[in-house]
Amino acid sequence: MVVNLLATQRQSFAIPMKRNHQMRRLVSAWALVLGLGTAVCGNAAYSADEYAYDGVHSSVSFKARHLDISWIHGRFNEVEGKFSLDREDPTKSTFALTIKADSVDTANKARDEHLRQPDYFDTKQFPTIEFKSKSVKVIKDGFEVTGDFTMHGTTKKVTLKLMGGKEHEFKNGVKRVAFSTELSLKRSDFGFDKNAIGPIGDEALIIIDCEGMRK
Amino acid sequence: MPDPVLYLKSMGVAAIVSAIVVLAMAMLRRTVSSTRLTSACVLAMGLGLALGCNVLEMRWTWPPVKGLDRLLMIVIPMALGIELIAGLEKLPQWVAWFLRLSLAAVAPRILLHGSVFLTGSGSDWTLWDGGVAVLICGALLAFTWGLLGWLSRRSGGISIPFALSLTTQCAGLTVMLAGYLKGGATAFPLAATIISTAIATKLVTMRSGTSEKLGLAAIIGVGVIGLFGVLMIGRFFGRLSTGSAVVLMLAPVLCWATELSFLRRRKPWMVGSLRLGLVAIPLVVVLAVAKRDFDRDMAPLLGEIPTRDGVVDTLIRRNL
Repeated sequence: MVVNLLATQRQSFAIPMKRNHQMRRLVSAWALVLGLGTAVCGNAAYSADEYAYDGVHSSVSFKARHLDISWIHGRFNEVEGKFSLDREDPTKSTFALTIKADSVDTANKARDEHLRQPDYFDTKQFPTIEFKSKSVKVIKDGFEVTGDFTMHGTTKKVTLKLMGGKEHEFKNGVKRVAFSTELSLKRSDFGFDKNAIGPIGDEALIIIDCEGMRK
Repeated sequence: MPDPVLYLKSMGVAAIVSAIVVLAMAMLRRTVSSTRLTSACVLAMGLGLALGCNVLEMRWTWPPVKGLDRLLMIVIPMALGIELIAGLEKLPQWVAWFLRLSLAAVAPRILLHGSVFLTGSGSDWTLWDGGVAVLICGALLAFTWGLLGWLSRRSGGISIPFALSLTTQCAGLTVMLAGYLKGGATAFPLAATIISTAIATKLVTMRSGTSEKLGLAAIIGVGVIGLFGVLMIGRFFGRLSTGSAVVLMLAPVLCWATELSFLRRRKPWMVGSLRLGLVAIPLVVVLAVAKRDFDRDMAPLLGEIPTRDGVVDTLIRRNL
């Protein structure tokens, strides 16, 4: 009798203990799921999309006055860049562009060679032209990006109005976004030789049409 | 666009200032010592070049980020300092030459600092190529400097700085014809200050009856460094060909030809003329080649000289 009673008591204790153990497992599993979910969702909410400059569908071109009667057009064939686009908080977006000055192309070999010389781009001393954003502001149909523009060894703060920002997503998940901007600057502000400015106007207009790609 | 009037002004300023400094410093005392005359030459060349470059509206910004800036603000002042020290009468010659050769070794490195040649960021230059170029250029500078310094001690003569000035002017023109205006223009006040300091020094030594070799080493030292700098920036940052740069750097060494036994004992004016004539031969060839290349590549860009295609178009339009 006593033995039976003891056995019954053991059983009645054993059932709640087993249930407690299962409950703990369940809670732990839920906690893990919730934790991971929060982490993943949280990241998605605050992370920005990283885009690489797509040289195939982008261009950095320029034009400058010749003798103050016409325009000379040219482009840079080798450009690299990346930008991160934060749709939730666009002020956290960043833009960077590096242009190889040596890749200047005005459809005239002799003129390109001349433009690479120290009186103009001085490409052996200053091989790149760079832009790095410092702050981003949302404007109608785009962003107003202020950053450091370095050319010919001189860095100046410039503000670009990046228009666009429309996205296109392919079925394989590749996402594309595009911006366009124009920047007017004076070559003399960037230390270009005053005497070499002569027939080519001091002011130059840089036109950037940039498509970014996220894989 | 090239401005010949501006270049003439800078040459005039450099020449006048250099001559005045040498003459004024020599007039302060009756006897002229080697140290005093060397100091006068160094000061005259430094001041003449600085004011001449100022006329050319050179930017004096520190730190110097371009090859030309480093030439004017680091390498030439170093040469002036070394020649000032080398001019001390009690200083052993080997110390003076040790300092000069040290500058010859570091000058190419300084001129190429931060460029694609030393950073390896250029597509066609590796760090190894850059190192080899620095070594060869240093050796070439030391060779020319050493031979001209030796010649000036051995037989002297104002024709050596004249030949150096002529070569420097030719180097400037060649660099400009290759498309680097500012780099080439720097050579003009430099050439003017070399010739003007040399003439003023000659007048002082003639008046005081001292050796005509006094001060010559300083003029040659600063002149050779200046010539080398113009050629190096023209070659590495501009489009001056390696062949032209080497010929121009070695041209003044042809002054040594007059050391041949049958020429050495000729009258000084004949030796001087021979030196200048010999040096002028490669200079004329280099200039002719540079002009031909300019007419072919650069002139059409200026729109002043009609291209062959342009002439043909005109003839077609006129039904000729």
